[in-house]
Amino acid sequence: MYFGLIVFLTFVLYGYIFHLYRSEKRGERDYEKYGKIALDDELTSKPIEPIEEETKKESK
Amino acid sequence: MHNPNHAIEYDYTVAKWFSYLAILYGIVGMGVGVLIAFQLAFPELNYIFGEYSLFSRLRPVHTNTVAFGFTLSGIFATWYYVGQRVLKVSMAESKFLMTVGKLHFWLYFIGSLLAVASLLVRYTTSKEYAQFEWPFDIVVVLIWVLWGISIFGLIGIRREKTLYISMWYYIATFLGVAMLYLFNNMEVPTYFVAGMGDFFHSVSMYAGTNDALVQWWYGHNAVAFVFTVPIIAMIYYYLPKESGQPVYSYKLSLLSFWGLMFVYLWAGGHHLIYSTVPDWMQTMGSVFSVILILPSWGSALNMLLTMKGEWGQLKENPLIKFMVLASTFYMLSTLEGPIQSIKSVNALAHFTDWIPGHVHDGTLGWVGFMIIAAIMHMAPRFYKREIYSKKLLEMQFWLQTTGIVLYFSSMWIAGITQGMMWRAVDQYGNLAYSFIDTVTVLHPYYTLRGIGGLFYFIGLFMWAYNFYKTMTASKELKEEPTFASPMAA
Amino acid sequence: MFGWLERNPFFFAVGVFVVIAFAGLIEIVPDFAQQSRPVAGAKPYDLLRLAGRQVYIKDSCNACHSQLIRPFKIETDRYGMYSLNGEYAYDRPFLWGSKRTGPDLHRVGNYRTSDWHANHMWDPTSVVPGSIMPAYKHMFTNVTDLETAYAEALTVKKVFNVPYDKDIDGDGKIDVPLGSFEEAKQRALQDALKIAQETKRKDLVEMVKAGKIPEIVALIAYLNGLK
Repeated sequence: MYFGLIVFLTFVLYGYIFHLYRSEKRGERDYEKYGKIALDDELTSKPIEPIEEETKKESK
Repeated sequence: MHNPNHAIEYDYTVAKWFSYLAILYGIVGMGVGVLIAFQLAFPELNYIFGEYSLFSRLRPVHTNTVAFGFTLSGIFATWYYVGQRVLKVSMAESKFLMTVGKLHFWLYFIGSLLAVASLLVRYTTSKEYAQFEWPFDIVVVLIWVLWGISIFGLIGIRREKTLYISMWYYIATFLGVAMLYLFNNMEVPTYFVAGMGDFFHSVSMYAGTNDALVQWWYGHNAVAFVFTVPIIAMIYYYLPKESGQPVYSYKLSLLSFWGLMFVYLWAGGHHLIYSTVPDWMQTMGSVFSVILILPSWGSALNMLLTMKGEWGQLKENPLIKFMVLASTFYMLSTLEGPIQSIKSVNALAHFTDWIPGHVHDGTLGWVGFMIIAAIMHMAPRFYKREIYSKKLLEMQFWLQTTGIVLYFSSMWIAGITQGMMWRAVDQYGNLAYSFIDTVTVLHPYYTLRGIGGLFYFIGLFMWAYNFYKTMTASKELKEEPTFASPMAA
Repeated sequence: MFGWLERNPFFFAVGVFVVIAFAGLIEIVPDFAQQSRPVAGAKPYDLLRLAGRQVYIKDSCNACHSQLIRPFKIETDRYGMYSLNGEYAYDRPFLWGSKRTGPDLHRVGNYRTSDWHANHMWDPTSVVPGSIMPAYKHMFTNVTDLETAYAEALTVKKVFNVPYDKDIDGDGKIDVPLGSFEEAKQRALQDALKIAQETKRKDLVEMVKAGKIPEIVALIAYLNGLK
């Protein structure tokens, strides 16, 4: 049972890593741009993903 | 896209208040720490304030003031700063959230003072880091609810849709502590059942081994969600911001976050190895503690790699020094912890001074340095003035680093020496030392530890002075600095 | 797949909560019923001992002393039989401690006497040269709060069915009587007088005779009961 659990968790972990890199490679998402949120954080600066665009983005 | 509210600025009022409190509680809590450290080397110091300065009375005062005074104030101070900035919304935009923030501060300030005072007059449940009796537990819950309203309220009016990494960790801190604190402090106030006796007294809902199990599920993870998770929240914001370098890998931060959340809670069992809890739990605690290295080092390496190609800043900027050393101490203590969780090592290390040694290279090196750096990063933004003295900051860094090294090296030696002496037997298999032999031998190490603590403590005064001078007497800035904090030589 | 979590704070929070609550559910819940079963012969604390236990907690003796003997020969040689799960069935809270600045106390009742404890708590170095433990002189003058101890005993009896006023071992006699506060107090005073006399300190004997139990006497009763 423990063996099965370990295999399952390893699978989930690698699956997640694979998913992250694949979706970035295919251009579906650019994760690294979110790192900019901390750097460009003036009240007047443009949000990376403004909240108004919610409906448009989600339908993708 | 333009921002319609460009006239509004971030409001740092509450962040400032909590910063003052962090400095105050840091000095009080660690001052008590230095005193009790020296008491172990020079027992006469136990009596300087009569029964109120006995070691056993002050130890909970030290742990609670530092964990729930200094560290929590630091967490709240940075939350009321970072939260606004990464969500791109000002507290000034919501009267309600502003009120909640101020209420949060005052309730916390008064509540924490009374709670610490209650420990001095012997109100304690005896459960480590959960000593406060039930009326204070209720105050803690209220404080926590207010913080929750503040977090989710600010999220509700945010402009930036995606939550930045720091936000995940603040949310996790909020939820984790809420869950752990509630379940561990389940207690029945005896006054209401029996109608007599002390109003403040309560009795735990759990008995014996169960109580131990819940306590260390709490105790270990209070470390996780007060000393680790929110500090990671800080470093993910302040290090990139101060250095002007985006975080090395956002994807790695995602992995480490979920990894840490999943693994950390299992590791509590390592406090109960060779106790009367079932073997499988002890093994789980041990195994998961070792796995915990992965997500911990994931975060720490992510931080160090953020500095890639910019290591020159380490020489130039003392704040970067503080933060890089904090990450390094984080790596050290997240390696040391798993080593101590291995059953055979634990048999030697448990109950010895190696354990406080381990705790302190995490708290002094990682937590303390990160909070110091965060508050000094915020100071020029709070007051639109440059940091008063770079030289003083440098001196503080080296003095405190020396202090930490003295602290953990002396405690390593003390712990292993005592552990070895407890198990030493002569040629016939009889115990070689009586207990008191293993105490008197520690005197030089206890002295050295006290000196290390004293160095760190002196550093705190340098920090407080530098902060105060920045606030009142430093050169004014025209506008808020973007990245590296400006400082006068 | 997961990217939307970071944009939806509510589901993000739910996700975090599920992930962190998981371990607690699996580790803690299953063993709860089994763990609280007392070992044969275990009895709840009588009033004086319970009051002494409260003194032990009030001055955080557990900050330096453990009550957990691990199953190694070097520990059983030094402290006695290793600790059993069922021995702690009436311990609310548990007092295992996490640091042995001083020695373990789980079976201290087997090898220390009342007068040893009294001398030790008055001036530790008089019986253990080189000791770094401080003296606890205030315990010799503070009066034990029997009412709170009784309130605790009554609470655990009512709420957790701790077997006070019951025949536990089936010999037809009540093992640990509690009764009303007055009854319990009289019993505690008798027990206390015996211990006060054992300490060979006149001031303690006189206090007990005057109807006031010094904290140190209650504490010694508790320590003597740790076997």
